[in-house]
Amino acid sequence: MRTRGFVLALSILLAALGVECGEAAGAAALFTAAQARAGRTLFEQKCAMCHGRHLQGLSGPALKGPLFASRKAGYTVRDIFLFLSVNMPAYAPGSLGAEQYVNVMSFLLQQNGFPAGRVALTAQAAATSTVALLYHGPDGRHGRDARRARDCAASGARAPSAGHAAPRGCTPLAAAVPGIEAGGHRHAAGKRLR
Amino acid sequence: MRIIHVFLRRRLWPVALLAAALAPAAALGAGYPRVTSARLAAAATDNGWLMFRRDYAGNSYAPFRQIDTANVKDLRLVWSYRSHLQEGYEGSAIVNGDYMFITTPKDHVIALNAVTGKVLWKYAKSLAGVALKTVCCDVVNRGVALYGNDVYLATLDNYVVALNAETGRVVWQRQIKPADVGYAMTLAPLTLKGMVIVGESGGEYGARDFIVALDARTGRELWRRYTVPAPGQLGGKTWPKGMYKHGGGSAWITGTYDPLTNTLFWGVGNPGPWLAKLRPGKNLFTDSLLALQPRSGKIKWYYQYTPHDSWDYDGVNTPVITNLRYHGKEYRAVVEANRNGWFYAINRLNGKLIYAVRFTRATSVAGFRNGAPYTDNALRPTLTKQVFTCPSFLGGKNWWPMSVDPLTHMAYVPTIHTCMTMKGAPTFYKAGLPYLGETFNVVHDPDDHNWGALQAINLDTSRQAWNHDSALPWDAGAMSTAGGVVFSGSARGHLYAFDARTGRVLWRSPQLSSGIIAPPSTYIVDGKQYVAILAGWGGGVPIWGGQMVQSVSNIPRGGHLYVFALP
Repeated sequence: MRTRGFVLALSILLAALGVECGEAAGAAALFTAAQARAGRTLFEQKCAMCHGRHLQGLSGPALKGPLFASRKAGYTVRDIFLFLSVNMPAYAPGSLGAEQYVNVMSFLLQQNGFPAGRVALTAQAAATSTVALLYHGPDGRHGRDARRARDCAASGARAPSAGHAAPRGCTPLAAAVPGIEAGGHRHAAGKRLR
Repeated sequence: MRIIHVFLRRRLWPVALLAAALAPAAALGAGYPRVTSARLAAAATDNGWLMFRRDYAGNSYAPFRQIDTANVKDLRLVWSYRSHLQEGYEGSAIVNGDYMFITTPKDHVIALNAVTGKVLWKYAKSLAGVALKTVCCDVVNRGVALYGNDVYLATLDNYVVALNAETGRVVWQRQIKPADVGYAMTLAPLTLKGMVIVGESGGEYGARDFIVALDARTGRELWRRYTVPAPGQLGGKTWPKGMYKHGGGSAWITGTYDPLTNTLFWGVGNPGPWLAKLRPGKNLFTDSLLALQPRSGKIKWYYQYTPHDSWDYDGVNTPVITNLRYHGKEYRAVVEANRNGWFYAINRLNGKLIYAVRFTRATSVAGFRNGAPYTDNALRPTLTKQVFTCPSFLGGKNWWPMSVDPLTHMAYVPTIHTCMTMKGAPTFYKAGLPYLGETFNVVHDPDDHNWGALQAINLDTSRQAWNHDSALPWDAGAMSTAGGVVFSGSARGHLYAFDARTGRVLWRSPQLSSGIIAPPSTYIVDGKQYVAILAGWGGGVPIWGGQMVQSVSNIPRGGHLYVFALP
């Protein structure tokens, strides 16, 4: 009960702050601008030689844009963060600290049109976030997915799927808040192995 | 055109019409020489370079003597061609008559005049809408195959494309798997008996890989051989329930063909996920050599190089068909220098091991009992145990084709000396994401601080005949010739010519514009022998190479084909 109350309070607070349904409203604000800035520096040092300075892809895949962060691919923030933090950079997997991986993740989100907000992303939050990693355009406002997200935001819920009480194709707002599991939603496609 | 104009002006209409009628025939006669099954069967002695490693046996050996140990020092650059793409160049230049075909990263094909370097046509596979998310080791291509009047390309988005050799026009194309969901193709196709045969990559992405044969004229699928069996099929019991669906077994290097036994040989890559604890069993046919019926893809026999692999020791390196004499006995053999650091000689009549010897430090595969390898189980990583073992997952030897010289009875093996730490890590399968379950770091062999070597192994004694050390990894294919010269390129960008018997460096090209990871080709046009090599650093080593990466991080990028000949 206490957790549920906390989720509700946080949701109301975030909504009031305009973090979730602010003017841009294309995507959730999951990280701070300072995290994305730090992430950019790390990316240029550790990742750009394979993925390109502009994330355009070289020997490794592009890490931004509608082909990378597509509805078809169905990535969540968690999917990408778990692989990133365990297996990247490929020449020295797991060699960065947790905070550094979070910063790189923040940079990737920013480059895919996610807005910076006031709440910092944490490793725990990134590792459990079921927010869909979709490209929202260079300013976070473009694309079918962004439009859908806006429609959902207007109804008080969030794209994409897995919501039980939300409009079709939307997720309850709380599910979009990283680090908090709303109604036990986890992405369904992945089978975790230990 | 000018001649036609003269005809027309002088009102020689009948002559002009006759000339026009004869023109196509004349053009064909002087133009592209048709590639028949008979020519492919005799590719070893053709003046061109008709397939991936020259002939069905995969020897990378040409019977040309014009360039020899005495005059190789006089080689000069004849022409070159520069490409604008900056990723790795792993292709063999394929030559038929005076037509040459090269490929670049991201599936471009360029047809050139093999004597002058004049560009005849270019083709670029459209990769619009493709994210290239499930390509592990650079967006490379290893060249084309030829048959009839067509040129065949296998692409990163899983198409096989047939192009007209004279125009570059698409004759047919067929997608054998969707893009970006774990599968990609980087290999040169093999044309055999009117079929074009390719294999899929995807061992790092939870693919269930396969080899597929298409009708070379139409693209119609003739057979598909999954390298990881389903329950109820041969080898199906070597996988825990359901794990075969994402069991890897990529088939990413071109196979070879033995006319004596009518057998198609194809190597199979690592099991997925990498962490073996997650899939108890031998995990057939990963890390294996498959002997297949070419008409049906049916398995005649198999030999597993690394059972229940936890170290990413793909068994895809070219299985070279050769004969050898070991301990006084003659063998029809197939030989392979494996990622796991062992050199295998296998009886190609029955799949029985003739011998296996280490060609670099190798500890994961500890030895052999009754002709089968056994592993050191203490060197298997778990979620809580980090191991140190050799070679690293890069090898040993990676895909770079070795060469076998029938005159010296030696195999010339591009080698890297690496070890690694490795530990289990959580993983989950999701289409389009890597599926590894391990972390790792590639480090030096504690006893050999050269990252690489080109070495010769005497096939009859199984012993090393000579060795050329290299501070940097030796990441390029080898080629031998009847002139007694072995060619191979270095990471620093020099094409080397070695004395095939002694390993002495006879010649070294000026430094080319980038490092070399491709294998050389050689061909004769109008009585003159040429040697072609693509420079263009990239591939898997700079991505996955651990401590090796720093040593190669300053190698310039960019693709450049160089063609050398005697003055």
